[in-house]
Amino acid sequence: MESANSIAATLRLQITATEKRLASLKQQLADIEEKSAENVSVSPEVPVTQKTKWPLSAEEYKRYGRQMIVPNAGLKGQLRLKSASVLIIGAGGLGCPSSAYLAGAGVGTIGIVDGDTVEISNLHRQILHNTSTVGLKKVDSVISYLKNLNPNATYIPYDIHLTPQNAEEIVSNYDLVLDCTDHPTSRYLISDACVLLSKPLVSASALRTDGQLIVLNSPPLPVGNPEGGPCYRCVFPKPPPAASVVSCGDGGIIGPVVGVMGVLQALEAIKLIVSGKLKGDGEPVASSMLLFSANGNPQFRSLRMRARSPKCAACSENAELTLKNLPEMDYAFFCGLTAPVNILEAEERIEAKEYEKLSKGTKQHLLLDVRDKVQFDICNLEGSINVPFSTFQGGRPLSQEGEQPSWLPESFAPDSPIYVVCRLGNDSQVVTRKLKESGLGTREIKDIRGGLKSWKEQVDDSWPEY
Amino acid sequence: MSTAESEAGVNGQKSFTILYWGPATSYTLKEKETLLAHLPISTARLFEMLEEKYAGIKSKVLESCMVTVNFKYVDVSDSASTELVINKGDEVAIIPPVSSG
Repeated sequence: MESANSIAATLRLQITATEKRLASLKQQLADIEEKSAENVSVSPEVPVTQKTKWPLSAEEYKRYGRQMIVPNAGLKGQLRLKSASVLIIGAGGLGCPSSAYLAGAGVGTIGIVDGDTVEISNLHRQILHNTSTVGLKKVDSVISYLKNLNPNATYIPYDIHLTPQNAEEIVSNYDLVLDCTDHPTSRYLISDACVLLSKPLVSASALRTDGQLIVLNSPPLPVGNPEGGPCYRCVFPKPPPAASVVSCGDGGIIGPVVGVMGVLQALEAIKLIVSGKLKGDGEPVASSMLLFSANGNPQFRSLRMRARSPKCAACSENAELTLKNLPEMDYAFFCGLTAPVNILEAEERIEAKEYEKLSKGTKQHLLLDVRDKVQFDICNLEGSINVPFSTFQGGRPLSQEGEQPSWLPESFAPDSPIYVVCRLGNDSQVVTRKLKESGLGTREIKDIRGGLKSWKEQVDDSWPEY
Repeated sequence: MSTAESEAGVNGQKSFTILYWGPATSYTLKEKETLLAHLPISTARLFEMLEEKYAGIKSKVLESCMVTVNFKYVDVSDSASTELVINKGDEVAIIPPVSSG
C-alpha cells in the first residue's frame, strides 16, 4: 500500500511539473502568435539583461557558478561562451549529448541541423528525444529539451540536411562546428565548408563499441597556410568503399559509446571557446585523434596527427576547392553510390512466400542464414543454420580442397537445394553468388529476395523486426 | 618465440605488432597480431603482406585507412608509401574512418 502511495505521490509531482511545462509552451505559442498577428518578424528570445554594473545577470552567476570557479574558465571564459555561436550538425546520438552540455554551459547561440524525425529505435542513445516525441522533427524535439534546460540561449533550428548548396549560408553564421552526422558524404562536406569558411570543426563518430574524436582545422588558418590544423581530407584523403560503410542501423551501437563521444565533443568545444582559440590565436596545439574502444585495454588511445597535407584537395595551396564551386561538388559520387545489391538473375532468387510453401514440402533442403550470430540468436527461422557473412569474406576458401564446407550436414544429398537469407537481402546475394561459383554441385542455390524483411511482409507478421 | 629467437630474428626476419582497430577487424577477425619481415619495411610493403594474408583487404579496407606507427600518423600516399617507416618492435595500427554516429 505504501509503495502505491509513493507511486501516486510521484505521479502527482510529475503531473504538476508537466502542467507547468505545458503552460510555458502555451505562453511561448501565444507570444509568437501575437507577434505574427502584429506582423512583426519574430526575433530570437534573448533575455534582457538589466543594465547593472555586473556583466552577467544574477541568475547567470548562480547557473554557471560551478564551472566559472574552475581555474582557466572564470568570468572571462563564461563571457566567451555567452558570445559564442556553435553549429551542431546532426541531432542524433552525438548531437543530443553535445548540445545538452553546450546549452547547459551557457553557449549563447546554438544552431541545430537535422532533416530527420524521431524514431523509437533512436531512443536508446539519442537521449534528448523521448517516447512522446517519436514522429516529431528531431530539431524540434532537441530544441524543446534545450529550452527547458537553459532558456537563456538562442536556439536556431534547421530542419533540413546540410547540402553543398546550403552549407555556406548556414555554416558562415557560426564560430565553431560540431560534426555529429552519420555518413562519409556529410563528413567531407562539413570539413570542406569549415576549411573554406575558416571554422574549427570538432568531429566525432561511433559504431558498435568504438569511437573516434578529432579536432580539425584548428587553428582555422586560411587555405594554403601549412600552419593551420589538418582537415578531414588530410587525415582520410580517400573515402572508404561505399559497400564497406556500416551505419549504426546495420552495425549496431551501444548507447553510452556514442554518448561518451558526444560528451567529449562538447568538452573540446568548451575548451576551444573558453581558451579564446576559436580564431587560432595563442599557442598552437599539436593535433591528435582520440580513439575509444569500450572493450580495449586501455579504452582510450591518443594518436599524434599529421600537419596539413601539402597535397590536400581542400586546405593546401594546390586545392581547387572554392566557395564558388562548393555547390557543384558531388559528394555522393566522390564517396561512391550505394545502390541496393542486385547481382543475381531472376531465376537465382525466390520470393519469401514461395520459399515458405516449398519448406512445408517433404523435399530435403537447407536454409542458410548469413546474418551475424548475435542477430541470428535474437530470432531465426525454424531449421535454419547460421553461417555469418564474415565467414565468406577475406578470400578464405569455403572448405579444404575436395571436402564439403563444415557447416553442410553430412547427410545432405548432393542435389538438395540451398536457400540463403539475411536481414534485408543484400549479403545473401553475395553469398549465393559465392556458393554457386565454389562448386557446391549442380544443386539449386537461391537467394530469398528481400530477406527476413520480406518474410515479415509476406509470411509472418509476428516476426520481430529489430 | 623465445627471447633469443626474437633478438636474432627468424631467417633474418624480425617482428613488429599490428593492431586492427574497430571495423578493420571484420576482415582480419582479430584485433592484434605479430608479423615477421625483413625490417625495416615501407607501408607499401606492409599492404602487400596483408593482401597476401587477407585477400581483398587492400582495396576494401587499407586504402582508405589511417596508419600509425607507435601512435604517430604516417603518410601512406603514393610518394610517401615507400619510406621505410616500420622497424623492429614497432606497433603499427590500422585505423579505418568511422563515419556513423
